[in-house]
Amino acid sequence: MPISRRTFAAAAAACVLLPLSACGSGSDDGGSSDASGKVEGDITFQTWNLRANFKDYFDGLIADFEKKYPGTKVRWIDQPAEGYADKISADAAGGTLPDVVNVSPDLVAPLAKAGLALDLDKAAGQYRKEYLDGAWASHQIPGMTGTYAFPWYLNTGPLFYNKSLFKEAGLDPDQPPKTYDELFTDALELAKKSDGKVATLANVPTIEDFGRYGVPLMNSEGTAFAFNDSKGVELLTKYKQLYDAKALDPQALTATPESSGKKFLTGAVAMNPGSALDLGNFKKQAPSLYKNIGITDQITSTGHVNMYVMGVMVNAQSKKKAASVAFAHYVTDAQHQMSFAKKVAIFPSTAGSLDDPYFTDEDGTDETRVRIAAAKSLKNAVNYTPVLFSEQMKTALRNEVAKALQGKESPKEALDNAVKACDTLLQQQG
Amino acid sequence: MSSSTVSRVRRQGPLSPWLFAAPGLLIIGAFILYPFVSTLVNAFTDKRTLIPGEFVGLANFRELLHDDMFWIGLRNSTLYVLGVVPALVILPLLLALLVQKNIPGITFFRSAFYTPVVASIVVVGLIWVWLLDERGLVNSLLETIGVGRIGFLSDQWLLLLSAMAVTVWKGLGYYMIIYLAALANVPRELHEAAAVDGAGAVRRFVTVTVPAVRSTMALVGALSSVAAFKVFSEVYLMAGPSGGPAGEDTTLVMLVQRTGTGLTGRVGYASAISVVVFVVTVALMLLVLRADRRAES
Repeated sequence: MPISRRTFAAAAAACVLLPLSACGSGSDDGGSSDASGKVEGDITFQTWNLRANFKDYFDGLIADFEKKYPGTKVRWIDQPAEGYADKISADAAGGTLPDVVNVSPDLVAPLAKAGLALDLDKAAGQYRKEYLDGAWASHQIPGMTGTYAFPWYLNTGPLFYNKSLFKEAGLDPDQPPKTYDELFTDALELAKKSDGKVATLANVPTIEDFGRYGVPLMNSEGTAFAFNDSKGVELLTKYKQLYDAKALDPQALTATPESSGKKFLTGAVAMNPGSALDLGNFKKQAPSLYKNIGITDQITSTGHVNMYVMGVMVNAQSKKKAASVAFAHYVTDAQHQMSFAKKVAIFPSTAGSLDDPYFTDEDGTDETRVRIAAAKSLKNAVNYTPVLFSEQMKTALRNEVAKALQGKESPKEALDNAVKACDTLLQQQG
Repeated sequence: MSSSTVSRVRRQGPLSPWLFAAPGLLIIGAFILYPFVSTLVNAFTDKRTLIPGEFVGLANFRELLHDDMFWIGLRNSTLYVLGVVPALVILPLLLALLVQKNIPGITFFRSAFYTPVVASIVVVGLIWVWLLDERGLVNSLLETIGVGRIGFLSDQWLLLLSAMAVTVWKGLGYYMIIYLAALANVPRELHEAAAVDGAGAVRRFVTVTVPAVRSTMALVGALSSVAAFKVFSEVYLMAGPSGGPAGEDTTLVMLVQRTGTGLTGRVGYASAISVVVFVVTVALMLLVLRADRRAES
């Protein structure tokens, strides 16, 4: 029977379009929470920019796991830092999310809501006691029950400062600011003495700054943002004073962590947050700065520094849940977190690990001093970033803060608008 | 075609041409038609990255009307067209006239002007950011000659102008090549006749060259206006992911990227912005081509 051109064209179009139409939507099927059964099968494990520096560590870790559980095979995928969330979202939307995924709490939240993150309270609740309570709770989502990732490593960066710039401004280089009030006083002094040529900070306040200043970020139910209260307005008003006095770098409104780090390297900025890894960079790229480097704790007015949390999530749609849960636990257990911590400046989230002499005994080096100080501060650190605070919300806050600093809006108006925008985005997230 | 092939094609009837076209159709269908249709459909839904969403009619478009960031994006994309297109229509033509002559060493200059075209936009963006930084080379020079430092990357308007300058700098060589091809087809006799009539270089340019390459100018105008309206990389690299101070340098395509990507991306809303970008670019093309036809007639 001859086929008409129109029929053939329609069939061809359908052949092309129909298979594709299955893509692009997350499944409503939350998947079973049952991870019992024999630990076996092939699974995929995705990390976040770790292959370049820790290939040997992960190769060894995977080999040990496969040896411990014969019949398992772990395929390791490492994604670059840039666009990591986009890569996960493409995989999640396309149904190709790996079985075990390195995530941060803000990435877990939408995945858990879409039914793609396994509830570990149900599937692996027996491991809960191995982790610090705060770390285990960091992957819980307001409005949902359950915990959606194993806590992995914790981090809390120190604050670096340029002692010679402090000295030139008549400030005591051995007494860096500890609270926001001290920071604002010193920053204004530094800008005044340098005639506006040296700024103290290169970044606008972020949600973590509001948290460390003592501003309530969300209501107690976690259903609406609340950082537009009087304390929040006070913080933004003080930042406006810094901006006007050039104590905040003029390019802070468009700065990224990389660009502000560069400004610190060139001596244009007196203080910058970082990690113990940065010391090596200073030594190599700016030896004169390295000679004058000061290391202090994060600025906080609450007594609690900010803690960044990494987690390892299990895909709720995984066909090999038992192996995936076993591997995610294996990566994050006390022994492996400790050995990973000794390779890089991160801190274990497992109970008791921070009491290891590695985190308590001085050996006279700056690296150890930073490590011990950070480990100490971690014990009562807080993850100030709300898990529901998305990238779009960060942009909304940043833009409103910029309007306040430029004088286009009052700090109160700016924060009201930011909270309104974030609440709208929160509602749209569902 | 051999007679046996012809008879085989005849035997297979109307199916044969489709089989030949099938690979192309598949590629066009999968990578052009499907995303296009999908964008159109999504524009009328509240789809998010991980949630399929439901049909919401014109709600996304209504929301656009009240979205300040959309109007900022539309303003900046329009300003980009107005700032960049005239420069990209005229400057490459003048450049092509300069390098058109076959004199010793001219190949070097042609290559040099073309170099920015082949350079990665990311590298180009980073270099210009370093140059225009508060402590960059340009500001150091300006300070040396007593002008003082200028906030190329911290002022909303200077930032947009700087990005436009980079777009023009990078596009000059590309359009220069198009003009060189057009200029090669301008009859030499016309120039000679005009010269005999006493026309100077400027007059010859206006009365001979410009009319001869007018269609090419329209083509360059159409291509560059579409590219300018869809600008992303230059502004993103120079203004940062937030789109400049308070997002005031955001363009429409940046807004699509910011709104529609990530795990919490609003795919439906971003698709609605994409539809607006599509409609405006088609309108721009038609406008330029219609103006050219009118001038021709």
